[in-house]
Amino acid sequence: MRPEEMRGVAARGRDQFPVGMRVLAVDDDPVCLKVLETLLRRCQYHVTATNQAVIALRMLRENRDMFDLVISDVHMPDMDGFKLLELVGLEMDLPVIMLSGNGETKTVMKGITHGACDYLLKPVRIEELRNIWQHVVRRKFSTPDYVNLDTYEECNKPPNADSGYVYSQVTCGSPDQNGRPNKKRKDYHSEEEGEDEESNGQDDDDPSAPKRPRVVWSVELHRKFVAAVNHLGIDKAVPKRILELMNVEKLTRENVASHLQKYRLYLRRLSAVASQQAGIVASLGGKDHFLRMGAFEGLQGYQAFTSPTALPSFSAHGLLNSPRNNQTALVIQGLASSRSIQTASGSSTTNHSIVDANKYHLSLRGNQQGNLAQGLVTSLGPAQLQQKFINEETGDLSTILSVNGQANGTPGIFQSVTSSPLLPQDLVEFTQGKVDIQPSIRAPSVRLEHLEGAVGASSGLLESRVSQQCATPLSGYSASRLLTNSSFNNNGATRLCGTTSSAVARDTNVGASSFGGPSPSDTNQKYLNFGSGNSFRQKINERSGDSLLDPKLVWSSSQLTSNFGLGAYHSMSQRTNNDSINSSHCARMTGQTSASAPVVVPQTKLDALFSEDLQMPRNASDLSIPRLQSELSSSTCSFDGLLNSIIKVEKDDISFGDDLGCDFYSLSACI
Amino acid sequence: MAAAALKGQLNTLLSSMFSEGLVDEQFQQLRMLQEDGAPGFVAEVVTLFCDDADRIIAEIANLLEQPVVDFDKVDGSVHQLKGSSASVGAQKVKLSCMQFRQFYEAKSKDGCLMALSVVRNAFYEMRSNFQTMLQLEQQIQAYDP
Repeated sequence: MRPEEMRGVAARGRDQFPVGMRVLAVDDDPVCLKVLETLLRRCQYHVTATNQAVIALRMLRENRDMFDLVISDVHMPDMDGFKLLELVGLEMDLPVIMLSGNGETKTVMKGITHGACDYLLKPVRIEELRNIWQHVVRRKFSTPDYVNLDTYEECNKPPNADSGYVYSQVTCGSPDQNGRPNKKRKDYHSEEEGEDEESNGQDDDDPSAPKRPRVVWSVELHRKFVAAVNHLGIDKAVPKRILELMNVEKLTRENVASHLQKYRLYLRRLSAVASQQAGIVASLGGKDHFLRMGAFEGLQGYQAFTSPTALPSFSAHGLLNSPRNNQTALVIQGLASSRSIQTASGSSTTNHSIVDANKYHLSLRGNQQGNLAQGLVTSLGPAQLQQKFINEETGDLSTILSVNGQANGTPGIFQSVTSSPLLPQDLVEFTQGKVDIQPSIRAPSVRLEHLEGAVGASSGLLESRVSQQCATPLSGYSASRLLTNSSFNNNGATRLCGTTSSAVARDTNVGASSFGGPSPSDTNQKYLNFGSGNSFRQKINERSGDSLLDPKLVWSSSQLTSNFGLGAYHSMSQRTNNDSINSSHCARMTGQTSASAPVVVPQTKLDALFSEDLQMPRNASDLSIPRLQSELSSSTCSFDGLLNSIIKVEKDDISFGDDLGCDFYSLSACI
Repeated sequence: MAAAALKGQLNTLLSSMFSEGLVDEQFQQLRMLQEDGAPGFVAEVVTLFCDDADRIIAEIANLLEQPVVDFDKVDGSVHQLKGSSASVGAQKVKLSCMQFRQFYEAKSKDGCLMALSVVRNAFYEMRSNFQTMLQLEQQIQAYDP
């Protein structure tokens, strides 16, 4: 009775999603399969069960639109579950959940690196299965990511000679610092047209043109392919060369091209899973400041660009190399008087066993008169994965902000480097980033005589400490996670507070302890609470330092106060080996805004995120809203784009707030 | 009523299985599923498990009899047994499988043989309990058309 009933439900329409979601369950163990199938049915999914991976694969190939999700055991005699996973990942765009009795980190890692969107342990519980529909939704949402490549183009459209070097480094972020932006752009451009063709310039090979002699990419064939690609390097791999290397009869360049395209998409999806990036660069600056940057010209100040990056070298050895670069940039621009300010933001280095360390620099120079720019730093949160995902990567987040300028006659150099180590359990490549934040800011403000903050963050293995010393009650914070807080207070016509806070808490109540404040965070242990909240409240001309000095606020909020223009520029960049996709998210704020946000709110409300979107100014570039949404939604296991994007264009006194504290889990569930 | 007595017996059996650690929450969950409208489900799974585990144990025994033991295969089989016992909620069997692991990792044939006997005993105990349970259920069903 039940199956028919289920089918009936499925037929009644998909509007009752996830009821009737079509799941293919694969497990060689009859007991497990039976249990799994029953549990899935209980969740009102439409289940197809098979005990052979080969059959599963055949079903998938024959009816690729018949399934929404695949759940596969890992250990199967006829075909390794990972292989199935890999093939499914390559040939069809289906989320695959791995299932195993083996919860070793290594194995779980392997599953994730092969592209599993989740990894369940036996015995699987119905509670877990009730939630798996999220992967289907997420996959659907994340698809528009590719569209975001457009933004990249947009960003680069006006290649302003002045600032060309700036944005080429910002947005291209090529591993070689001297990378040729034009070349990069070309790559992206061609990638946008046809993922597979890149510099090869094969215009005749339209990837969407469906009919080619069908080649079944056997495991063996695929292995050769991967070997060839790895040999060439993912971004240098062109079909022709791959074909030569593979040396397989009857395989045409088109076959390879097509496969390469899928492979790239596959890698990208992987990274969407693997990378949790929240990189935000917020720079506040006068409008001309942005114009100066060229890249953002014409975009009305707001852009969001995200795209999951392909993993640099995804290879059979199963390590997940997912460099994540979280960028935080603080830009402090000239205050009150004409000053030359140099900002170097975002030096992020990823040490990677495979990938070269990436360096990322943004340099901005500007002379601005009377226009203030404030640095807003937003935080990046190394969004944490479930234990399963933990093992990724390393985000080294650095921000270097230097202001060569004078704030009220006091030379201030503000440098902040942040590093966000993730919590790895196992074979994490760690950022060996040593991070120093040494803001030395002297700003006599009304209520503060002095604010000197020295924030040092060093991320070593599992520890990163941030300490801040202030002349005020804030002193000596240490966090076991990345926290960067830079405060810059200036009592000139402007007050600038750039506060970055990023808190990652795991297992312990890091938030409360490290913040030294009554941070409401971390009620959920072992979930990452990633809060990067921006709640921008309008405080006109608020100059008092008390909010700054309030530990809670300081550590957990971003504050901006500006009498002039505020611009928020977020840039996130993710990088891979040779392939880098950068995203920049740009937001501008003008007006007097003070933002403060409580950091960690255990529960995320997606609504909040979207409502934040809604608060974007309508006249922000049309790109902005969809982009941001896609960015948000594309964050699969992460907060890819959980950027507190702060957008405000007008000088109105508008206040809006968003609380982006998140429990990782719930966020992913929401998304 | 005989049926009530049988039900009482069944419940006693079930709770003793649980309290003795033979089965865990997973098994209870399966039973709850059954009560929620999947009749015969537990019986089916349990029967599957007994057959499957019996087969796997024989397989492992066979592997260990070889002059040169392929510990990887032993690994695979034990793993499968573990997965299946975990799925059915046969906790004791599952735990014995987990203990088995150290021996095949150490490539100790004697250790494996010992561990296998532990697994086997756990399984036999489990199976006899399951069989009793199934019989009781059948009898109850006979009373309760």
